[in-house]
Amino acid sequence: MKALLPIIRLLLTAEPKSMIRGAALSVIVLLMGAALLGLSGWFITATGIAGLAGIGIAFDVFRPSAGVRFLALGRTAARYGERLLTHDATLRALAALRVTLLRRQVGLDARALARLRGEAELTRIISDVDALDGVILRFVLPGLAALVTHLIVFLALAWLAGWAVAAAVLLGYVPVAVLVFWRLARQSIVPSDQVETQSQALRRGMIDMIRDRQALILRARITAREADLLAIDASTRKMMRALDLSDRNAIAALSVLTAAVTGLALLVGAAFVGQGALDPATGAIGVFVALALAEALPPFARGVADFGRMAGAAKRIGQAPGPIPATAVRPDAKPDEPVLSVDTPELALQLEAGKAAVLTGPSGGGKTSMLMQIAGMAASEGVFILGTRVTEWPDAELRNIVTMVPQRSALIAGTIRENLSLSGETKDEEMWRALAAVALDDVVRARDGLETQLGEGGTGLSGGQARRLTLARALLRKPKLLLLDEPIEGLDDATASRVLTGIRGMLPEAAILATLHRSADHPVFNISQKIDIRR
Amino acid sequence: MKSSRRLASARIIAPVARQLRVAGVLSVTSGLIWPAQAGALAWAISGWVTGEMTRTGIAAALFILGGVLSALLTRAAGACLFDAADRTIARERAALILREARARADVSSAEVAALAVQKLPLLQPWITRYHVAMVRVAILPLVLLAVTFWFSWVAGLVLLVAGPLIPVFMALIGMAAEEASRRQMVEVGTMNAMLMDRLSAMLDIRLLGAVENASADFQDRAEALRVKTMRVLRVAFLSSTVLELFSAIGVAMVAVFVGFTLLGEITFGSWGTQLGLGEGLFLLLIAPEFFQPFRDLAAAWHDRAAGLSVLAELEELDTTGRVAFLGTARETAPLRGPITLALSGAAVAYSDRILPLPDFKLNTGESLALVGPSGAGKSTTLEAIAGLVPLARGRITVCGKTLDEDTADAWRARIAMVPQTPHFADQTLRDWLDPDADEAALRIALELAEADRIVRRLPDGLDTRLGETGGGVSGGEARRLMIARAVLSRRELILADEPTADLDPETAQLVIASLKRLKDAGHSLIVATHDPAVFGAMDLTVEVGS
Repeated sequence: MKALLPIIRLLLTAEPKSMIRGAALSVIVLLMGAALLGLSGWFITATGIAGLAGIGIAFDVFRPSAGVRFLALGRTAARYGERLLTHDATLRALAALRVTLLRRQVGLDARALARLRGEAELTRIISDVDALDGVILRFVLPGLAALVTHLIVFLALAWLAGWAVAAAVLLGYVPVAVLVFWRLARQSIVPSDQVETQSQALRRGMIDMIRDRQALILRARITAREADLLAIDASTRKMMRALDLSDRNAIAALSVLTAAVTGLALLVGAAFVGQGALDPATGAIGVFVALALAEALPPFARGVADFGRMAGAAKRIGQAPGPIPATAVRPDAKPDEPVLSVDTPELALQLEAGKAAVLTGPSGGGKTSMLMQIAGMAASEGVFILGTRVTEWPDAELRNIVTMVPQRSALIAGTIRENLSLSGETKDEEMWRALAAVALDDVVRARDGLETQLGEGGTGLSGGQARRLTLARALLRKPKLLLLDEPIEGLDDATASRVLTGIRGMLPEAAILATLHRSADHPVFNISQKIDIRR
Repeated sequence: MKSSRRLASARIIAPVARQLRVAGVLSVTSGLIWPAQAGALAWAISGWVTGEMTRTGIAAALFILGGVLSALLTRAAGACLFDAADRTIARERAALILREARARADVSSAEVAALAVQKLPLLQPWITRYHVAMVRVAILPLVLLAVTFWFSWVAGLVLLVAGPLIPVFMALIGMAAEEASRRQMVEVGTMNAMLMDRLSAMLDIRLLGAVENASADFQDRAEALRVKTMRVLRVAFLSSTVLELFSAIGVAMVAVFVGFTLLGEITFGSWGTQLGLGEGLFLLLIAPEFFQPFRDLAAAWHDRAAGLSVLAELEELDTTGRVAFLGTARETAPLRGPITLALSGAAVAYSDRILPLPDFKLNTGESLALVGPSGAGKSTTLEAIAGLVPLARGRITVCGKTLDEDTADAWRARIAMVPQTPHFADQTLRDWLDPDADEAALRIALELAEADRIVRRLPDGLDTRLGETGGGVSGGEARRLMIARAVLSRRELILADEPTADLDPETAQLVIASLKRLKDAGHSLIVATHDPAVFGAMDLTVEVGS
């Protein structure tokens, strides 16, 4: 519950107005349902008495029958409004949950962020977010609505039919229902969380098995792997069976409870009618209201059964680190210092504004992790940006000085314009200049210009084109220090040369540090450094 | 649609028809108890008016007894239904687990896994809710209608008019409800796709300092999506409201009619004798239950649509072309004798063409390069040698025997494969290499593969969890780790597919050096490559596709 509370608060405050209105309407729907059955029961019993007594003509039929019609129609209308408002509020909450999740990623380091590209990690997050989507609509709202409805009904019944009848209904329902729900929650909290984690394990296991099939077949291990997966499935389904049993037991207990409370209301009503303390029609109200209240409870049971899954998901999602704590000291850029100065066992380098350096060395030699350290995305020693230790820069200011294009750079679904303006609005002519700098303007112009639509992960462009678009995106940031990890991989020599020259031309003042396999002798580079931590 | 319905009943419904029938009977029986319960209540309350208070105790006992009975019947029906759904899901999932890795189809592994794990459970509501709702709607309203007519033809007529109108709206609502739930699935799906897209680009977004901006943009898009979805939901909910409206009006009309009859203001509508208070209360309690099965069915309507769409995906996956391997991949004693291999006139059949494989011979301790342009069949040749694809003609002789269903497992016990792209599962490097190997064997294998320094560089050494993105291992490092894995398997013949693809010359040299050391250690080698540096290092060269 501790993990779930912040999520509930987040979801509730996403759009408090429609959430409150939706909640109010859910209560009104339940109340009108109870009132409708109570009034109808009273009306029929009262007319029956009046008919027997032969005073039918004197009986005011207009108001009760109008009330019945009003409640019947009003309930339908309220139900419609409730559905609309709660769905609207839920959709807003869904978006809020996802936006919060996105913002959280700001605190992750390069390794963790690279892991986010893995399918298993992504599907885990999505699956957890999906589990949390139901928190409001299936757990908080039905629970709250049931509770509030019971309290209001208690007061109304007490006023109409006396405390005893009201107490029979309230004391019959609430404590036992709480007990049933508590039991259900206790029984299902572990299995419902485990069903979720095991399903994720099964899913990952299947992907692993299919992708690694050749090795599994060659090592004669595939049968064992299949048996493992079948065992995971069997234990998942066993837990689902346990969940289903608790769920059915709870629902059965609730319907027995309805019958018992209705019976109790009948007995209490009869006792008062027998003493002459109540007229039969008023005495009957409690019976009908008890019947109508039955519909308030089952929706909540479903949410309670799912509680473990939601709580587990909230725990996993909640584990994501928060934003980086703001550094206490506000460093001033020291303009006399070199833009970048590195002094580590692997690399000694000073880079002034307007200079460009290239790092070479075998793959796995530590070039990428050196760039990540300089970009402040990994722990580092001896890396200074404008004279200040990179780790002491506040994130936002560091991003304005340093921009890095990682080796496996990613685009998003949307137009070229949306991809280029990912970090902020830019003028069209600036975008075209950046595209020209990376020799991509002709390609884009031949398609739909800046409105050219890209698919998920930027599909629709070739590997080399996508690479150049990520370069153009970085150029638009106009950094003082530009870090490029294998910027010309996948480009032919002529294009590679044009791109390197174009980057320099667009950012004449910037310090540039690139890792390269080839073209390290390009005239753009003033300094060449070899890096290989294995020595 | 017709045929999909027939398929559905043959594949999903028929195997569990018995459970569904039992559940239907239990559920309908439980529904039939309500008139008795309603009768008990009406009988007791009408007794209050006439002073017959003793009825109350009996009636309350009867009512509670009925409630318990009905709850137990519903619970039992639920058990049958869960069983039916569980069996179906277990069967279909086991079929996928036992088929998809053995006989590969051209479908992404993530899609197959999503179908098996996340989509199959969508069959459950279809099996548990829709079918019982259909049985109930066919019986219960008719029974309650007959009972109502027994007491009053006007009340019966009200239900009869409101009732049949419902199926008319049902069609409409069914479609609208389907649209509404589809819309919402699409909305959540689109939002999730957007989230995945942003999360997988998060390193870039972060390096661009664009987290705030990208989040705000996400919010705008989600908002636009919400507005669009709400527009559809407004209409969809409206049509399901019509259903509720009819049932509300039906109940209200019955209540008002009964009230006016009891007052004596309405004198028609009953048979002969005037309607009494007991009968009136009874009719009031019956009326809502008349409409309930229709509403249940409407709620279950989209479960069926979701179930059918899962079924369609299953059927599609069943009919995709597949490639099965030779043998059963069971642990078998290795083939005996020195390693020899000969291909003669062999060819592999693809759906659209026959791919001939080169003829060649390999003896123990030899190294051989398969060279040729991409698409010529180098990888296919390696797979055929490993018995991973069946031959359309010709033969492969291994250790003096023909490679076929009977010998494939024993032959494979002597070979290991180094694929072009690695797949790291979510396990530690040690488990991935060989969970049973001791430290000495691991050290020797890693040195042989030039991979010992890689392990030293990793944060937790051999206990580093790789995860599917490789946990920070570069392409060249992954190749060397795969070679170490092949060495650890203690197989004599090693097949390597493009071991130097996408590597810089220095790293490629390391990989080639490790291959040479393998040969020096007594292994036989077959390497598919188009890198001159690699085939220069081999004893023999065979052209593929010439």
